[in-house]
Amino acid sequence: MRLPAILRSSTTRFFALVFILQLISGTALLLFVRHIIADELERTSRTLVTALRDDLIADYEHEGSRGLRQLIATRLATTGARDAAVLLDDPVGNHLAGNIEDWPPFLPFNAGWQVTPPLYRVGRDKPEQMGVISTKLPDGTHLLVGHVIEGDLRVRRLTGEAMIAALLLAIPLALLGAIVATRVITARVERIAETARRVGMGDLSLRVPADESRGDAFGDLADAINLMLARIEALVAELRVVTDSLAHDLRSPLTRLSATIDRAMRETDDEAAVAALERVGAEADTLLAMLSTALQISRAEAGIGRDRFVSTDLGRMLEDLAEVYGPLAEERGFTLTASGQGHADVHRELVGQALANLVDNAMKYGRAGGHIRLSVASHGDFVSLLVDDDGPGIPADQREQALRRFGRLDPARQPGGAGLGLALAAAVSRLHGGGIELGDNQPGLSVRLSLPRVRA
Amino acid sequence: MAQKILLIEDDAQTAGYIVKGLTEEGMTVDHAANGRDGLFHATDGGYDAIILDRMLPGMDGMAVLGAIRAGGIHTPVLMLSALAAVDDRVAGLTAGSDDYLTKPFAFAELLARLRLMLRRGGGSAQPTTRLSCGGLEMDLLSRKVKRDARPIELQPREFRLLEYLLRHKEQVVTRTMLLEGVWDYHFDPGTNVIDVHVSRLRRKIDDGETVPLIHTVRGAGYRLGTEA
Repeated sequence: MRLPAILRSSTTRFFALVFILQLISGTALLLFVRHIIADELERTSRTLVTALRDDLIADYEHEGSRGLRQLIATRLATTGARDAAVLLDDPVGNHLAGNIEDWPPFLPFNAGWQVTPPLYRVGRDKPEQMGVISTKLPDGTHLLVGHVIEGDLRVRRLTGEAMIAALLLAIPLALLGAIVATRVITARVERIAETARRVGMGDLSLRVPADESRGDAFGDLADAINLMLARIEALVAELRVVTDSLAHDLRSPLTRLSATIDRAMRETDDEAAVAALERVGAEADTLLAMLSTALQISRAEAGIGRDRFVSTDLGRMLEDLAEVYGPLAEERGFTLTASGQGHADVHRELVGQALANLVDNAMKYGRAGGHIRLSVASHGDFVSLLVDDDGPGIPADQREQALRRFGRLDPARQPGGAGLGLALAAAVSRLHGGGIELGDNQPGLSVRLSLPRVRA
Repeated sequence: MAQKILLIEDDAQTAGYIVKGLTEEGMTVDHAANGRDGLFHATDGGYDAIILDRMLPGMDGMAVLGAIRAGGIHTPVLMLSALAAVDDRVAGLTAGSDDYLTKPFAFAELLARLRLMLRRGGGSAQPTTRLSCGGLEMDLLSRKVKRDARPIELQPREFRLLEYLLRHKEQVVTRTMLLEGVWDYHFDPGTNVIDVHVSRLRRKIDDGETVPLIHTVRGAGYRLGTEA
């Protein structure tokens, strides 16, 4: 049987562990204190009894049995001996002196300290527990010296009760301790996780904040993660420099190429030459468009442009797009419609570019005379932007390939296509913390961009 | 008097091409090959416009622009850049450039934008309610258009397209300028969607007329005007 998720969570286990350990240590501590107190009380009683017995024996050795009897009476009469119990019996068990009537049947005549069951003392109306020592004197008489320990027992009982009360108090305290400990740990981990999450969203400059936890496991974890982030940032920066300068280096000769084509077109009147130059110019434009889109994808994947998100009416954006592309679509035999409402914080130009590329794709690959539908819908924290056509669509097993850069499916199908439209749409949706989904429009392709409504 | 242009561009070939083209258009062009010289020339003053490359050796184009504007020089600046990303365009515009053009560009695009910038600098900002060209008239208040006596029905977007062309009559406007000015699109829509819009408008304006007003300028864009 699998445990419920909450019991499997490390946090819950840690919480329970702290709670139980605190309770165990609290209980152990209380038991120890109780033991110390009981021990001390018994030791005191025992010392009193031993001292009294030693006194009495010393007197017996001096004064003999008679003197002893007298001393017993005297001692028992003093106020300090309120809890004392003494019995002197002759060898056959007759009472000679003391405040106990009969020798307890279970007690040997010569025994060390032991705690008796309740015994009656003369003049008392209820039996009392006591600690006793018995000694056999040289003349055959037996001496029992004891100390009533009812008071000790009451203290012990009270300690026990106090302990239970303390334990009851310890439970909420242990709970509180566990909560605080769990919170502290969770907060530390959460801080690291939050940084990792935001870096994952594209802000590569973030680091786990250096706090007081230097040198402990969290500090080590933070250091390791920061080291990794620094490395990632350096690599991405390097990549960016490479792509940017590549773009620069490629675009400069392209500038010169189109300048030359431009000039040649202005300087010639030869119709054939102009036609050829126009074709070359168009190829240069395609090359340039591919370069720009590839650059845009790299930048979006690197999270550049995140600071330019603005609240945008996406329904309006789709209508505008349908309006711009409408005449062209019509000329190519498509109908293009836009519908739906939705707002989100987006990078307007990039989302516009991504959608324009999707519309362009739909016109390239869709069925002539078909219908291209743009729509937007909100659900929960996300808005969906849909570009649907009723062309041949993309088979389910090729959709992942279609989302890749230069992942055009059938090279023979569309020689002019750069194969970057879907890759750009995917990169743009990821930049926004959303995703892209290729579905079946039955028939046709349905591209869905899901974007969070509020900037993550 | 010939208009004086300062070109700050490190790539000799691009610079040569721009200088040659602008000189052919009757402008006087000074060329600086790095940011420091460029800034020196710019502060010297007397230019009608500055064309500034974004990536320069020695002193970056953005820094040059910052220094020019900090020096209280309000000469219009057109920035050139190989960085195609929209964000760079926005950064350039917020830093005080008047227009932004990404490489590679057609010379016609540069010229059209430069002309627009020069005219904007000298023209009056008086609000107008009527625009006209030849027999074509546009009333901006009643939003009515007619050519001679013939009223012309236009869709809202066609109206704005014609308005843009009328405001820049006898000037070459490029497709990118139309996209930015009429649709507020700052990205490449991929296909030449603009051509279809213009040809629809042209049908409404010029069909059946003896003098066409909307002209296609090969390799550049469009021009609205009475001359062929």
